[in-house]
Amino acid sequence: MARAGTDAVPDKHYASDTHMSCVLEVRNLRAGYAGREILKDVTFTVDADDFLAIIGPSGSGKSTLIRCVNRLVEPSAGEIRFNGRDILKLPQSELRGVRRNIGMIFQEFNLIERLSVIDNVLTGRLGYTGTLRSLFRMYTGDDIKQALALLDRVGLGEHIDKRADRLSGGQRQRVGIARALIQNPRLLLVDEPTSSLDPKISREVMALIREIAREFHIPVLCNIHDVELACEFCTRVIGLQDGMKKFEGLPGALDKNVLRDIYAMEVL
Amino acid sequence: MNDLSLDVRVAHIAANRRRSRAARYSTYAAVLALVAWSVYAIVIADTDWNRILNGTLLTTLGRFFEFDYKLIPDLLQPALETLVMATLATLAGLVLSIPVAWLGAANITPLGSASYVFGRLLMTLSRSVHEIVWALIFVSAVGLGALAGVLALAARSIGFISKTIAEAIEDVDNKPVEAIRAAGGTRFQILIFAILPQVIPVLLGNMIFEWDINIRRSTIMGLVGAGGLGLALFRQMAMFNYGGIATVILVILCLILLGEVVSHYARKAVI
Amino acid sequence: MRPAGAPPPALPVPLAWRRFRYPQSLYKYGALLGLLAFIAYSVDYLDIDPGRLLDMPGRIASTLANRYYPPNIEHVLAKDYLHAVVETLQMSYLAAVLGIALAVPLAWFASWNMTPSRRFLYPFARLMIMGARSVHEMIWTILLVAILGYGLLPGTIALILFCIGFTGKLFSEAIEAIDPGQVEAIRASGANDFQVFVFAVLPQVRVAWTGISIYSWDALFRAATIVGFFGAGGMGWYLRESVQRIASRDVAAILLSIVAVVVVSELISAWLRTRIAKAIA
Repeated sequence: MARAGTDAVPDKHYASDTHMSCVLEVRNLRAGYAGREILKDVTFTVDADDFLAIIGPSGSGKSTLIRCVNRLVEPSAGEIRFNGRDILKLPQSELRGVRRNIGMIFQEFNLIERLSVIDNVLTGRLGYTGTLRSLFRMYTGDDIKQALALLDRVGLGEHIDKRADRLSGGQRQRVGIARALIQNPRLLLVDEPTSSLDPKISREVMALIREIAREFHIPVLCNIHDVELACEFCTRVIGLQDGMKKFEGLPGALDKNVLRDIYAMEVL
Repeated sequence: MNDLSLDVRVAHIAANRRRSRAARYSTYAAVLALVAWSVYAIVIADTDWNRILNGTLLTTLGRFFEFDYKLIPDLLQPALETLVMATLATLAGLVLSIPVAWLGAANITPLGSASYVFGRLLMTLSRSVHEIVWALIFVSAVGLGALAGVLALAARSIGFISKTIAEAIEDVDNKPVEAIRAAGGTRFQILIFAILPQVIPVLLGNMIFEWDINIRRSTIMGLVGAGGLGLALFRQMAMFNYGGIATVILVILCLILLGEVVSHYARKAVI
Repeated sequence: MRPAGAPPPALPVPLAWRRFRYPQSLYKYGALLGLLAFIAYSVDYLDIDPGRLLDMPGRIASTLANRYYPPNIEHVLAKDYLHAVVETLQMSYLAAVLGIALAVPLAWFASWNMTPSRRFLYPFARLMIMGARSVHEMIWTILLVAILGYGLLPGTIALILFCIGFTGKLFSEAIEAIDPGQVEAIRASGANDFQVFVFAVLPQVRVAWTGISIYSWDALFRAATIVGFFGAGGMGWYLRESVQRIASRDVAAILLSIVAVVVVSELISAWLRTRIAKAIA
C-alpha cells in the first residue's frame, strides 16, 4: 500500500513550519449572538505536535470555539493567529485561502449524501480549484491520485464509487477524514468526531485521526465530550465551562476534582 | 509498483467520468437543439422584427411608467370585490370537492375502481381545463357577471381541494377508525369522529393556499364582466390608458402580497 | 355479602357534561354563523342572482345539445390547426427551458439561508419572483401583445415570466429546507459561494427541483394552449377566432382538443415523475 505521505502529500508544506512551533494562537476570544455571550475571553495555543482536546459540558461553547477558528462563526472580539497571521482581521475574500489550509471533521460527518465516496473526498480540493473547473468536476489527475491514496489509507479503497448515504457511520467518518486531509491542511479542526458512533468504532476513528495526524505532522484541535477518549488520545487538554477556560494541562492532571469542577452543572 | 497501480486506477476513473460526461452532454445537446428549433420558429419565423424595431416599442414601454395615482382610491372597492370573489369561490370549491373526494379516495369509494377512476378523472379534468375556458363555459350557462366568475374559479379549485381531501383520507391513521368501529359506530359516525379530525388541519392549510392562488385567478375573471380588479384593468385597456393599466397592476401586486402575508400566517396558525 | 337480588350500589351522580363548554362553543358557533353571514353578504355584494344558478343545469344541457354538438372534428384535424398545436408545444417548451434557467439563480438569491447577499440580492430576487407571480399569465400576454403585436413571441415571453414566478418560489422553498451541515462542510474547505451552491445545495435539491420542473411544465403547457386567445398564437388563437365567428361546433372541437392534449401531457408527466423518482431515489 502506497504511503500517502511520500507520494500524494507534498511535504514542502510542512518543512517551513517546523521551526515555528506555534500553529494556532487564540487570545482573548469572545463570541456570541443575539445578546448572549457564548465565549468569554478564551486564550490558548496549539503547537505543531499537539493533539489538543477541548472538553466541557454541553453549552460550554466548545462548538462555537472550534468554528471561530475557521470563522464559520464570527467572533466579536479577540485575536486568532494562524501561522502568524491574525485571521480575524482578514476580509471575507481572503478567508478562502485560510480555510483551505484548515481541515475540518464534523460530528454528523456532513457528507454530500448523493455523491460517491470519491466525489466527496474531492470536494476537499474545492478551495484549490477554480470555479469554472469545479463546475465541470475537472479535478487534476494529481487530485484524483491523492484522493485514491487517502481512501486507501483510511481503509475505504474498495468503496470509492459507493454513494455516501450507503455507508455505515464509521465509514462515513473515514470519508470525512480523507476529505479533510486532501486539503493538505496545516491544522485539523475536529468537532465531536465520535458522538454519532458506537464505542468500538469511536476508538478506531480516534486512533486513525491520531495516527494520520502524526504521520503528516498536522496539529489537531479536537472537541470531545468523552473524557476517557480524550485522555487516551490527546497530548494536552483544555476544559471549558460556560465559555471560559477552567483548565489547561496534561491529561494526567485531569483528576476527579478537576472534572467535577468543570462539569459542575452536568451529571457525568 | 504501487504508483503504477494508482495511475491505472486514476485512468480508469477518468475514463468513467468521460463516459458519464458524454451521456450528460448529449442530453444537453438534444435539449439545446429543441431550443434552437423553437427559437427559430418563434423569434425568427413568426415575429415581424421590422415592425417591432421601427415602431413605437420604447415609447409604448415608457408610457406604462406614467402611473396614474389618482386612480387608486377608485380601485379599493374592486380590490375588495376580487377578494370576496376569491373567498366565495374557494368555499364553493370546497363544497363541490367533498363528493368528488369521496369518489376519488381509494379506501372509501363506494363502487370500487369504477367510481375511483371516475373521481380521479373529475379531479384531472378540473385541473386540466384552464380557468379562462371554465369562464367561457359558465358565461354561456349563466351569463356575464360575478356568478360566472365564482363558478369558474370554484370548478377550477375542485381539482386541487378534492385531491387534498382524498389523499388525506387515504393516508388516515386507522387506529381511531378501528376504535370507533369496535365501539359500534356507524359508517357516518366513523367519518365524523375518526376521519374528519385527521383530515381537517391538512385541508384548512391547503384551502388557504388555494385561496391565495384564487386571488390571482380572479383578476382575470373581469374578462367575463365579473367585476373586481380584472374589470378595472380591462376598462383601462379599452381606453388605452397605459398609466392606468400600470396602476391597476400595481394594486394587483399589493393585493397578492397582502394575500401572501395573510395566508402565510393563517397556515402557521392552522398547523 | 349483599343478599341476592338486591340492586347494585348506586353510582355517584356525575356532573352534567356537555361537549362544548362556554366560551369554546361561542367561538365555534360564532365562526359558523359568521361564515354563513359572509356567504350571504358576498352573494349580495357581488350581485349574484341565485335564480340563475338554479336555471344553470337546464341551460347548460340545452346549449350543449343544440349548439355545441356534434363538435366539428374536421376543423381540428386541418393542417393549420395541427401546426398550431406544434407552435403551442414550442412556446411552452422554450418558456420552460428559459424560465427554469432564469429561476435557478433567482431562487438561489431568494433563499434566506443560502443567498450570497441578504441585503441586496435577497430582496431584489424576492421582488422579481413575486412580481412575476402576481400578474396572471393572461395579463402578461395582453400587455406584451400590446407592446410587441400579435404572435408567438409575446406569448412565449409571458409564459417565461409565469414560469419564473411559479418555479422560482417553489425552488427557493426547496433550498430553504436543506441540511445546513453539508453546507458547513463545503464552506469549511475554502469553497466560494458559487461552489457551495453547486456542491452543497444542488445535490440536495435535485430531486425536489425535478418534480417541481415537471409540475411547472404542466402549468405552462396548460397556459400555452390559451394564451393565443389574447393574441399570442397557437391553439388559443384558433379558439378566439372561432368564438368570434360564433362557430360553436368549431369551438366545441377546439375545446375538446385542448382538454385532450392537456390531459395527455399530464399523464405523460405523471408517468415521468414516478420513473424519475424511482431512478433518482
